[in-house]
Amino acid sequence: MHSVTAIVVAHDGARWLQETLTAVLRQTRPLDRVVGVDNGSRDGSGRLLAQAFGEHNVLSLSRSAGFGEAVHEVLRRLPAAQEQQAQEWVWLLHDDCAPDAGALQALLWAADQDPKAAILGPKLCDWLDRRVLLEIGVTVSRSGRRDTGLEPREYDQGQHDEIHDVLSVSTAGMLIRRDVWDELSGLDPDLPLFRDDLDLCWRARVAGHRVLNVTDAVAWHAEASSRRRRRISTRDEHPRRLDRRNALFVIMANLPFWALVRSVVRNVSGSLVRTLLFLLAKQPANALDEVAALGSVLGHPGRLRRARKARRNGRKQGYPAVARLLTPPGAALRRLTDMVQGFLAGGAPVDSAGRHHAVAADSSDDDDGDELLTDSRVFQRVLGSPGVLLTFALVAVALLAERRLLTGDLLGGGLLVPVTGSASDLWRFYLEGHHAAGLGSDTWAPPYVAVLAGLSALFLGKTWLAVGVLLLGCVPLAGLSAYAATKRIIPYTPARIWLAATYALLPVATGAVAGGRIGTALLLVLLPVYAGLATRVVAGSRRAAWGLGLLLAVGAAFVPLVYVLVAVLGALAAVSFAGVRKGAGLSLAIGLGTPLLLLLPWLAEVVREPGRMLMEAGLRDVTLADPRLGPESLLLLSPGGPGVPPVWTVAGLIAVALTALLLRRRRMHVVVGWGVMLFGVLVAIVVSRLTAGSMPAWPGVPLAFAATGLLLAAAHPAHRLARLRAAGGVRRIGALLIVVAAFATPLASAGFWIVSGADGPLERGARDPMPVLATLGTREGEGTLLLRPRDGEVAYTLLRGRAPLIGESDLVPAADARGRFGAAVAGLASGRGGPYTQTLASMGVRFVSVPGKIGPELRRALDSNPEMARMSLSDSGGLWRVTVPVTVPPPSTGADSTHRIWLWAQGALLVLVLVLASPGARTAEPEEDYGESSPDGTPRGRRRAREDRVPA
Amino acid sequence: MRGLIENRFGLLALVLVAVAALYGVAYVSRPAPVAHAELKPVRAAVESVTTVCPAPSGAKVSVVTPPGATGPGTAALTPLTPDADKNDSKNAGKGGDKSDGKGDGKGGDKSDGKQGEAGSASPAPLDTVSGPGLLWQRRLPVGGGPLTVAATGSMAPGLETAQTTREESGAQRGLAGVRCVEPGADAWFVGPGPAAAEVALYVANADRAPADVSIMIYSGEGPVLSERGNSLILKPGESRVVNLREMAPSPLVMALEVSTGTGRVAAAVRAAFGKGRGVDWLPISTPPATRVVVPGIPGTAGLRELYVAAPGEQDTVVQVKAVLKDGSYALKNKESVEVPAGSTASLDLSTGIGGQPAALVLTADVPIVAGLKVTGTGTSQDVAFTAGAPSIDLGSVVADGRITKKQVSRLVLSAPFEPATVQVRLLPMRGTAPQPVEVRLPAGRTRELKLTPPPGGEAGFGVVVQPEPGSGPVYGGRALDESASDGQMITMQPLEMARTWALVPPTTDAPSAVLPQWRSS
Repeated sequence: MHSVTAIVVAHDGARWLQETLTAVLRQTRPLDRVVGVDNGSRDGSGRLLAQAFGEHNVLSLSRSAGFGEAVHEVLRRLPAAQEQQAQEWVWLLHDDCAPDAGALQALLWAADQDPKAAILGPKLCDWLDRRVLLEIGVTVSRSGRRDTGLEPREYDQGQHDEIHDVLSVSTAGMLIRRDVWDELSGLDPDLPLFRDDLDLCWRARVAGHRVLNVTDAVAWHAEASSRRRRRISTRDEHPRRLDRRNALFVIMANLPFWALVRSVVRNVSGSLVRTLLFLLAKQPANALDEVAALGSVLGHPGRLRRARKARRNGRKQGYPAVARLLTPPGAALRRLTDMVQGFLAGGAPVDSAGRHHAVAADSSDDDDGDELLTDSRVFQRVLGSPGVLLTFALVAVALLAERRLLTGDLLGGGLLVPVTGSASDLWRFYLEGHHAAGLGSDTWAPPYVAVLAGLSALFLGKTWLAVGVLLLGCVPLAGLSAYAATKRIIPYTPARIWLAATYALLPVATGAVAGGRIGTALLLVLLPVYAGLATRVVAGSRRAAWGLGLLLAVGAAFVPLVYVLVAVLGALAAVSFAGVRKGAGLSLAIGLGTPLLLLLPWLAEVVREPGRMLMEAGLRDVTLADPRLGPESLLLLSPGGPGVPPVWTVAGLIAVALTALLLRRRRMHVVVGWGVMLFGVLVAIVVSRLTAGSMPAWPGVPLAFAATGLLLAAAHPAHRLARLRAAGGVRRIGALLIVVAAFATPLASAGFWIVSGADGPLERGARDPMPVLATLGTREGEGTLLLRPRDGEVAYTLLRGRAPLIGESDLVPAADARGRFGAAVAGLASGRGGPYTQTLASMGVRFVSVPGKIGPELRRALDSNPEMARMSLSDSGGLWRVTVPVTVPPPSTGADSTHRIWLWAQGALLVLVLVLASPGARTAEPEEDYGESSPDGTPRGRRRAREDRVPA
Repeated sequence: MRGLIENRFGLLALVLVAVAALYGVAYVSRPAPVAHAELKPVRAAVESVTTVCPAPSGAKVSVVTPPGATGPGTAALTPLTPDADKNDSKNAGKGGDKSDGKGDGKGGDKSDGKQGEAGSASPAPLDTVSGPGLLWQRRLPVGGGPLTVAATGSMAPGLETAQTTREESGAQRGLAGVRCVEPGADAWFVGPGPAAAEVALYVANADRAPADVSIMIYSGEGPVLSERGNSLILKPGESRVVNLREMAPSPLVMALEVSTGTGRVAAAVRAAFGKGRGVDWLPISTPPATRVVVPGIPGTAGLRELYVAAPGEQDTVVQVKAVLKDGSYALKNKESVEVPAGSTASLDLSTGIGGQPAALVLTADVPIVAGLKVTGTGTSQDVAFTAGAPSIDLGSVVADGRITKKQVSRLVLSAPFEPATVQVRLLPMRGTAPQPVEVRLPAGRTRELKLTPPPGGEAGFGVVVQPEPGSGPVYGGRALDESASDGQMITMQPLEMARTWALVPPTTDAPSAVLPQWRSS
């Protein structure tokens, strides 16, 4: 004979309470007594309780009272059942937990089957999707991780149906014998929320009782607190931190001593690892909670000691019964592999099947059909993708055009110094404070060296490979990047294909390859990414903002001008969007501020010498830019210099973009595109008319910028061509004309590129500037003076035992050494005798090399020098050796501490930005949330829950 | 405005206006084409000169530096001897490096200076000349090897040295003079071959690094390939006389190229035709070029024989044009001479230019070298040689000029292409130099000046020839002849560019020098 008292504790749960109360009152096994507790609800829950149970059966407590406290209060006041022989039960119910009509009956039936059963719980299913299983009993790992033994979103198909002997059941729907409750002193009031059930059941187990989960009894639970559907009033803490803290606390309070020691060690290390993972997954709030929870438990040893003292009885003896039900130790490893797999598949990096709201979090938006396709037909799908086909086509075009650049000796020419050295050389160059190269310099290495070093490291340390792929592959890479980045902007695939192909084959691209402009080549690949990220940044995405900042820093390191361009447009965007979209202003500030931070000292140098703003990474060469570039070239996006097709190849693109202006509807994109175009061309005009020193600037990057705008303007409305074509007649012919004009541009560019070849000044087989004889005869620290007569002057540079690395040309030696050296070189080249050779020798010059055919005057001058001996002379060059003793400049010892500090700071900043920018969980983009209306009437709640998940 | 934007063509019009405005901006801001300012080299005084007189034994050695430079400066005359201490010479190459390898920069510098002194101080200098503007002349005793003249400071700019021997009888009878040679990597000579005369090559290495010398002979039948190999290695300070007959006994005429693989060499060639037939040194000719001017042919009587060599791999026809007192023209029946590839040809020009001061302009479509033999009159003949010479744009100096009762110094100047004005100044041995004399040269003419000794220059004087700015290229030579009882004795030397000035080319510190210059084709 049973007597059952149902206790419904409500706290701001009116949304669910009505249904709960109805369910409680409609039980097939009628309740003997019902008590409602209202923990200071403000939404009328108390009134609902009173209506259902009657005024006298409702107890009102303060808002800060917890669930356990409420139940204690009820049972303290509630007299024992009337019939003495009756077994008295207490049925605990949350306000958001509606039991099935037969739930109580099933529970009592199970209790009858097993006299040792003291705590019984129903099968908990999701409130909304009632077929989804939430819990069939809960266990816990030794690290405090909650484990339901269910897959996320597992449907209830009766697969778990039986009576389970479990470690614990939830307090939602928990049926507990009152004598056991009294014996165990009930729920621990120190655990007002989360894990109180676990603690209670653990103690029951230790005391020799059994805890059963009865799947015939079903209750639907909304898990309103842990999913943050309602505010928690008992504690100010975040539920996640509370949950974690309580988990640790319960474990530590209930484990016997030696197990506790092991557990402490495991939990401390485990927590640190989890913190790190959270940081990597860019969930700093989670990481903070993790650390705070651990700290809170360990920081209050008194509380823990009290709790352990209270649980001392039979803890050790009862532990084997509990240990059997804990999560087996191997599960952690399995979970880790699952997590890695999930991450690779684009899921959340820290996923947990055991958390309270696994259902809500994993509303995957993947099509189920996709998974079926991926297994067997990956190959076909990849090959069938238009983007991949486009890339293949562009690779073929590039290979054909670059046929003379593919194999051979060193790649160099134009702005590209013949590529020698490895990633480690570049790293050393970037990190060292004093550079021995050339005349020696204390200038800090330009930051693009670090980028190239990193790229080279990716290519197994082979700088030549990295530079080759970046420079020679810039056309297909730019095409691929343009195709991928426009996915969100241009939904019409043929238009994207056309856009990507046209973009990749812009005159700027072919010119960049021919001129060895590695900076422009990189930017061509990056510009579409900037555009793609910028659309997300103006929508307020923080992660995209960090990404944009990082990539902008990379681009600006090569071509500082791009920062100015992006900053101007960013400022315009800030003016237009900051008021409209929340967070857009801050995101823009992040995107534009990150490059400034990352490149700080170098940018300061550039600003001090504004001419460098117009230059890009690499050598300086007057012949590679045309200061008198015609206006038609500028307007037709042709930057001049070598490797540029005839100006009219781009005419088709301009025509199509002009046609796009005639559209009546949805003109915003067209107008913005044209705005970018006009802005880019204006900047290009200004840049091409400026000179840095005597060096004319090349307007490649602003023109690429302009082209990006123009392409967007032309491609965005392209899907209407289909309608025009369908219209027939004149319109159909018009559509055909537009398509022909549009595709003429990339086809003509590709044709010209292939026919004329990609090599301009850039060539394969650039000679190593260090003659072999000089390399062999040079000792540590000795230098080779390289003289190259051209245009009536003698250009010279000093090589320290090896060919220069990329970026070493940017070093600035001390002015006095430079002046002395220049005078000595002039004296040497004049052949007037004198102390010049001595001066050069005192600066470490061992060899004088003149590559190429040598004019008679210079040869005479060098030959007539008594302090030099000729080692070789031919049409391919001459080499002289200084016969007087050579002084090697002493290696610099003083390390530049400022530089070191900055490098550390830069490294730390980079790691931080990387962490903040790298893709973590596949989160929904904020702009997709516009207009989203949640079916359950909790707008944005789902998204919030997704971001602030509680790892349990 | 709103209507304009909402109109279908309004936006297009706006954009077109903007594009037109940009076009205008670009058009207006396009800079005017700037003529590429040709960078001119800067003239700078030479700071040190070393010359080697190949065989000064018994010869009169003249050393002169034109006035003008101030400050201290000396020219040391030192007999060239092989480095006594072999280790020392090796040290110059290796030991010195070791010492600086230790890293003490200052110590390295000092030891370097000491070594330099030790190297040149081991043989005592014969004499030290200081004070530019005056001629130093002395007859050296018989015996001994080459003589090095090393000038620094104010003595260096324009230092000219020459040696002249005069034998009145015997196999070496005649006047034989040569400019002391600046060591170089390459020297060309054109003249009679070993079959016609006894031809001796004097090579000396005045540097501290060994020189690897190779000798190439282009005979009338083509290049001579010697089985024994025709290269030799000169240690520092070493000098040698090579009898070319051992190397190539057969050529009647030849062009000779002395070049070094490493190091430098001072080379000179002396041709002796035998008793009563003359002797002289071959002057160094300009390296092969498609236009060669052979200047300084005096207006004395006697035979003139032109030697032309085409050392390349292509036959050629050389056009010969004479620049005479009254104009410049091709000689009748001697308009051209055919030169097979890699060989030397000769052409008798006695009837064309004999007795007239002249210069020859030779043009060909492949690089050639050329020289000329002048034979004196009389029962005992003497010969003299001139050769292709550069124009003396920066001035020229002749060390040995003399006028006695029998000896006449002539200066033959030609302006084969454009009119020119030159200043001729004589530098006596004592006293002050007289004012320069201005000489005008019409285009395509040659003038011969018989020099008169300045006060204090009776025993000898130097000559400075300086073209005025704006003059066309000037070529010239100095001939010295003596009317001996048994026949005329003669020696000649073409005017070489003085070692006064060096052209300092503009230099730029450009890391892009590692790459060849790219030119759009």
